Amino acid sequence: MTMKLIREIWQSIVRRDPLSTEKGKAELVFLNVWLHIHPAKVKRENLRFTHTFYLGFITFFLFVILVVTGILLMCYYRPDPSLAYQDMKDLQFAVFMGPFLRAAHRWAAHGMVICVFLHMLRVFYTGSYKRPRQFNWVVGVLLFLTTLGLSFTGYLLPWDQLAFWAITVGTNIGGYAPVVGPMVREILLGGHTVGEAALVRFYVLHVAVLPSFLILLCVVHFWRIRKDGGLSRPLWKLKSAPPEPEPELVTIGAPAASAPLRMQAASREKTYGLMEVVTGKPIFETILPEEEEDSVFSYPYAFLRESIAMLVTLIGVMAVSLVVHAPLEELANPAKTPNPAKAPWYFLGLQELVSHSAFLGGVVAPAVMVLALLAIPYLDRNPSRQLAKRKWILAIFTVFVVANVALIIIGTFFRGPGWALVPPWVHVAGGTE
Amino acid sequence: MMEKRLQQLFFALSFLALALVVVALWQASTPEWKTYQRQFHQLEAQGEPDAKARAALLEEPLEIHQTMLTGLGRVDRCTTCHLGVDDPTMKNAPEPFRYHAGLGPHVQPKFGCSVCHGGQGLATDRENAHGKGGSSEESLLAPEFVRATCGRCHDQGDIPSVPELTEGARLVETRGCHGCHKLNGKAPAIGPDLTDEADAHRTPEWLEQHFQNPAAVTADSAMPNEHFNKEQVRALTFYMYSLSSMKMANYYLGARLIPGAAQGRQLFAEKNCLGCHAIGGVGARIGPDLKGVTGRRSAQWIDEQISNPQMMYPGTSMPDYELGINARKSLIAFLGNATPEDAKSILSENKRALSPEQAVVESGRLEFMHFGCAGCHGTELQGGTPNKNAQGGEVPALVHLDQDYTHDEVLNVVRKGRVPPLEKANGPVPPLYMPAWKQFISEEDIDRIVAYLYSKQEKEKADEAW
Amino acid sequence: MMNRRAFLSWGTAGTAALVSAVGVSCGALLRFLVPSVFYEPPQSFKIGMPADFSYGSPTLLPDEKIFVFRDRDKGFSVVSAVCPHLGCTVTHAADQKFHCPCHGSIFNANGTVQHGPSPRALEWYEVALARDGQLVVNKDKVVPPANRLMV
Repeated sequence: MTMKLIREIWQSIVRRDPLSTEKGKAELVFLNVWLHIHPAKVKRENLRFTHTFYLGFITFFLFVILVVTGILLMCYYRPDPSLAYQDMKDLQFAVFMGPFLRAAHRWAAHGMVICVFLHMLRVFYTGSYKRPRQFNWVVGVLLFLTTLGLSFTGYLLPWDQLAFWAITVGTNIGGYAPVVGPMVREILLGGHTVGEAALVRFYVLHVAVLPSFLILLCVVHFWRIRKDGGLSRPLWKLKSAPPEPEPELVTIGAPAASAPLRMQAASREKTYGLMEVVTGKPIFETILPEEEEDSVFSYPYAFLRESIAMLVTLIGVMAVSLVVHAPLEELANPAKTPNPAKAPWYFLGLQELVSHSAFLGGVVAPAVMVLALLAIPYLDRNPSRQLAKRKWILAIFTVFVVANVALIIIGTFFRGPGWALVPPWVHVAGGTE
Repeated sequence: MMEKRLQQLFFALSFLALALVVVALWQASTPEWKTYQRQFHQLEAQGEPDAKARAALLEEPLEIHQTMLTGLGRVDRCTTCHLGVDDPTMKNAPEPFRYHAGLGPHVQPKFGCSVCHGGQGLATDRENAHGKGGSSEESLLAPEFVRATCGRCHDQGDIPSVPELTEGARLVETRGCHGCHKLNGKAPAIGPDLTDEADAHRTPEWLEQHFQNPAAVTADSAMPNEHFNKEQVRALTFYMYSLSSMKMANYYLGARLIPGAAQGRQLFAEKNCLGCHAIGGVGARIGPDLKGVTGRRSAQWIDEQISNPQMMYPGTSMPDYELGINARKSLIAFLGNATPEDAKSILSENKRALSPEQAVVESGRLEFMHFGCAGCHGTELQGGTPNKNAQGGEVPALVHLDQDYTHDEVLNVVRKGRVPPLEKANGPVPPLYMPAWKQFISEEDIDRIVAYLYSKQEKEKADEAW
Repeated sequence: MMNRRAFLSWGTAGTAALVSAVGVSCGALLRFLVPSVFYEPPQSFKIGMPADFSYGSPTLLPDEKIFVFRDRDKGFSVVSAVCPHLGCTVTHAADQKFHCPCHGSIFNANGTVQHGPSPRALEWYEVALARDGQLVVNKDKVVPPANRLMV
């Protein structure tokens, strides 16, 4: 009797067929609100580690770690200059697992910036931003900028010397932007210098505005992956494949008047989406019949790999947090500038440029870089994704990446007091910290 | 197959994740201070004869002990490990459990620990609480200098057990440190502001070296070498550690003056009590004779009389001096032993009446000392302090002013300041200069200082005439 | 896929590890949320030397909100001065009873409710002698009214 009741309760919640059946495996995905962003079946090739290194997924999971640790840290932190630093000390000395959580939050944040950058590199080098995925690349660039914004706003919250002066330098660089620079700076700071108002605004941005914005962008980003036909074909498959036919796509709604509609016979093995039936054209890239057999159910193949990626990320963050403590310098002192005063590491490339010319380095260079990034999928007229056929754009992009990394390395290790060029193995006396 | 390997990997990683969570939990659950607390409970239990009480002691929960000192703007957690601080039976216990004798009214719940000893009160592990050497904000003050911190609250009058502070303050007044260094915000900025200098980031070794020879610790220092001896160096270092910009609640401010008979005598003379009273017949006869008054009246009565004369004797002509409690205690301490000889010496100090001109010059001399002019121009106005790239290479003497300047020119230099003319035109600006003293000194006081300077001229001339 | 036996042993062990990790994390989360230090006056505090307190009528310590009784024969006892109804400070009358000025609760000499809206009696706290001779009150330890500390 009770077994029947229990079964009834279970089946009112979990309404799919058992997972031993193929139907059940499919239903687990498309009947589940949390999992249905996945396709029910996924191409085997897309599961390969070397295809994407799971970087996008890892970046998102790092964000989840940051949200969880961030909310916990919020229980013990007050965003006011007279309280914030003491709360940081309390977290370090008088809160159970305080140092661990704080370290996890900081290292996951650095990890997220690095992974989003590596993810962008992967997408670029595999040419996965090309048609029809141009707009998703744009959304990705916006995600990258939002990640930097989250890191930057969070940087101020400890209210130590590092935080205060890094944000002073960072907002001053931003203030050099023409026309809007000073106003944006004043809105960000809620004043003319970094103070009480700045701390509250940065806090609001960091815990509410930017995370919401990031989540909204992620929603669009994941949706577009599905609608653009899933992950792009791996590069190694491009070599052996016949010359790619132009993927035949149709826009939802009325096409441009001049674009001819073309009919295509549908595959017997494939299930149709509603949109295909209505418009008569498949939305997805046409799949060659032999590739149909190379698809496996997301459960358990994709989910197993995703779980492993999650565990690796979690273990990585925990291991680093156990060993390396998050730094905390002395209390922010507006009257005492440390020498040298450095922006957060991901902005050090910019600061290096700014040290040569404020306008060129602080305004022109970043604006050009961001606009160039956004324009890549639209300026790149080469339809081929094969590496051999893209030498020029690969070279240009690589140069910029290497230059940026080099600038960051110089800014981190080779700049000492007074921004003088000093190799890291030379100890400089007399610089104040 | 691949799937099997991956599943094994997944499960292995699950174990690893569990292991790391457990390690993190273990790390958080075994802080240093818990070990110290357990040791202390065992120590207490050893000295406890009653078995039940002993068991209760060993079962005491381990927790962080915190003293909130809102009146001093700090929070101290030192007693998390230093558990025997207020327990006399722990007189001979090993550190950190030893009893802290000799605190008097400065008990731990009201004062904490870090306000005297330095160190980081918020910390709960030894390394961070004690610091690694450096400023006393971050690390403990060396034991021989702890007494210097008495001066942070007791900044009025002398502290009997810390004569170094009296000597240090005297040196600062007479040798003219104020001429270049800001102290509590009131001086020019030729040298750094000293208020938090020691507390914030100087070790005792650095300070002592600095006073012995400034150029040895700070390259290009413009501070003259005053050739202090060892005792003076120590006194000045003590003085530095007694400076603090710490804000205190009224509860603490009321005790700045340590009551003592010496302070009482000073107040007695300042307020001119002998204008109405006598001691043993020496003095005036308007109010009662005060000899032996503490035998006739209780200290409480006298205290009330001083603070509220109208209540004790309505219609009395004794003014209300609005003295703080410690000032009144000092007066009572003095009155306890006051003799007619004391009255006589007080009266004779007052009777050194000066002529109006002498008064102006004497006042100017005191101002000259107070504002630190001697720091550059010397206590005998002899000048000679090295000043790089100034014409003449040094701070000028002031004994020949009347030959080189008019009276008004001198007044203007004092009022508006002056950068000395350069020896080499394209060389650096000299580090020492005349500040614009009108920001700090009133017109009348400037006149008096200049009058003092001119008084020294005439004397020199008179000597030369001989 | 692997054979069922291997799957079962790996599977159960691995799932157990994962579930334990989640469970342990939840426990850690709860412990994290419980504060280790409180920015409030301490629950255990010293009130002075025994000689500071008079016999007969009790001494009210208004900041700590307790009455300190000293009986010539039986010693010290400490009772809360906070009315359990809604938190007002009660007064001690000549008839040895406690009266609450807010809603009229009256407590007997041992703290039990005689009259009024209070749902509970007044709490008596443990008082002990510290090593330096002072009296220590511990508000975390409630004791029966008959408890006394003989000094």
